[in-house]
Amino acid sequence: MKLKVLPSSLREKKRYILFKVISESPIEYSDLESAIWNTLLDFLGEYGTSKISAWLLKDRWENATQTCIIRCNHLFVPTIIATLGLIERLGDTRVCIKILKVSGTIKGCKKIQQTFKNSK
Amino acid sequence: MYFDMHVHSAFSGGESTLKELATRAKMLGYYGICFSEYFESKSQIRELQEEIREVENEVKIKIFLGFEAKSASELRKLVRLRREYDVLLVRGHDLRLNRLAVQTPEVDILTHPELNRKDSGINHVLAREAAKNNVAIEINFRNILINFKTTRASIIKNMMKNVTLCKKYKAPIIICSGAISHWQLRDPKVLISMGTLLGLELKEAKQSLSEVPKKIIYQATERKSPKWIIPGVKEL
Repeated sequence: MKLKVLPSSLREKKRYILFKVISESPIEYSDLESAIWNTLLDFLGEYGTSKISAWLLKDRWENATQTCIIRCNHLFVPTIIATLGLIERLGDTRVCIKILKVSGTIKGCKKIQQTFKNSK
Repeated sequence: MYFDMHVHSAFSGGESTLKELATRAKMLGYYGICFSEYFESKSQIRELQEEIREVENEVKIKIFLGFEAKSASELRKLVRLRREYDVLLVRGHDLRLNRLAVQTPEVDILTHPELNRKDSGINHVLAREAAKNNVAIEINFRNILINFKTTRASIIKNMMKNVTLCKKYKAPIIICSGAISHWQLRDPKVLISMGTLLGLELKEAKQSLSEVPKKIIYQATERKSPKWIIPGVKEL
């Protein structure tokens, strides 16, 4: 049996952060995912990570533009942005993360991601 | 309009050239950056300024020249040459040097006062002096970036202490990347977010990347004008 969906007032408020990975050589999604989770756990600990309820959206990873969307609780946007900034390497590749957009809906981020893709 | 006022190039032990750093800063959305070099000789200033003008025209980003004093004698030398460059930084770590820096009105930024220390390198007296002489206390992102576990925790603790003191005594705070390579430069939003985690309000964190550097640059332009005499005195 599936749980009934919570009323909107009781649902967690989310923010979507669109970011671009600038790296020496193109990176894979799996490397990025593990780097983000490791950095989150290192910097915030298990308790802190649980509070920000971060989730990397796999289907929003664009390999061509090296952009992706991460979801988090609306109160912890600075925390997640600061943590993304602490990622220095993915394996042997040096990386730097640029924040492109913070939005309340996935649609808002998608638009920017699309324009970014078209401009490339 | 954001500025990164503490970046080291290959001239001062960094890994990247001026052009690489300027290009990356432009890509990340900075309006201007300041190359803080270690002082060697007077001829070095002219050489650097020429190189900076070339890169500035090529990359189309504002570039400022700063010098980071590592000792009291070096600071005295740099104060004498104060009108020849834009920003004077002091490499904090030693308590005496920290104190001398915040008591010298010619100094713009005291960089990482908590470096290699168990305490924060700043107390209420120094914070008050920094506010009086308008010396900005730096939050160096690179120190957080390159350290891990207990060292990182202790650095963050000390930075939080400095932020509390600076806020109480209204001393200016500046957030810089402190990058020695273009891979260590960070998005201004990352630095602002780190500032908020360290105890700054969002507005204050934004100001520490825009308003505080702007003031420093304004002072530098004033100082270079022929009408300028000493701090606070100029011909009308």
